Amino acid sequence: MTKKPTPRKKAEAQGGSAHKHETGRCLHILQRLSAYIDDELASNVCDEIRRHLGACPNCEVFVESLRHTVALCRHRPIPALSPADRQAMRENILRAARTQTRL
Amino acid sequence: MSTQPPKTLRNQAHRATDDERSQFDRIYRDHVDLIYRYANRLCGEVEAAKDLVQETFLNAYRGFKDFRGDAQISTWLYTIASRACLRMRRKKKGEPERELSLDEFVPTSEGEFRLQIPVDGLTPEEALQNKELRQALDQAIGKLPRKYRMVLVLRDMEGLSAKEVGTVMGLNERAVKSRLHRARLFVRRELSARGIPEGHSDDAPAAIQTSGGYDR
Repeated sequence: MTKKPTPRKKAEAQGGSAHKHETGRCLHILQRLSAYIDDELASNVCDEIRRHLGACPNCEVFVESLRHTVALCRHRPIPALSPADRQAMRENILRAARTQTRL
Repeated sequence: MSTQPPKTLRNQAHRATDDERSQFDRIYRDHVDLIYRYANRLCGEVEAAKDLVQETFLNAYRGFKDFRGDAQISTWLYTIASRACLRMRRKKKGEPERELSLDEFVPTSEGEFRLQIPVDGLTPEEALQNKELRQALDQAIGKLPRKYRMVLVLRDMEGLSAKEVGTVMGLNERAVKSRLHRARLFVRRELSARGIPEGHSDDAPAAIQTSGGYDR
């Protein structure tokens, strides 16, 4: 199976990318960013990532954008069901259960 | 000889039915809002979400005798809903879902590192007052392949632990975390590719307003 060139490889082939700070290192960090923002990593790994973020503005911006993304997901509200919907759905379920039919 | 069961058995059967009904009513009353919220986040559309809720509770009603008390009822219902959701999808489309690879999320140009949406200096609640931002977020979540969307919704929106998500989806924690990371990177990339201006807050209900749901 042939793999399409990845964006990283494409960027490297084009003679550099915006991610100039040790691209391989940045990819290594990127793989761990969810675990980093969820505070699931050992303290020495966190220190290593913090040091990298301090030296690589692009990665620092990236991790902030990931934090914002997660925060937006966490706070996205959903409107509640109305009492009438709740009641109508209950009746549909019980009717289907009685008659052994599909909804 | 009569084909009717003896009266005592009939009474027991009635009692069993009454017990089942009151058990169902209690579970429904306590969990319908939770499962509706999950269904709405998965389907992206009100009517499809209601269908999924009904399918979930019908399966729960029929399968209550199989419920082992070693899991929380909410975890059990999330599991039924997730399976029903995957079944509903398979009926509509036959093709396997796409896998997301980490490489595709590495930014390649300067503008891709930050979100092109107004969030700086705002709390998430304030940022989500912007209708365009809500729509962009919903569309990004809606574009996720479903097995990634389920993990993101369960973990980051419903607030389950990685272990609980694993129980619901039949995955180990490592696989949950791997899918979650890819799902977050996907949504982040979608939001960094948009250009949403500072918007006026609106008072419209913060509903998911995609046309016809995610998988149609």
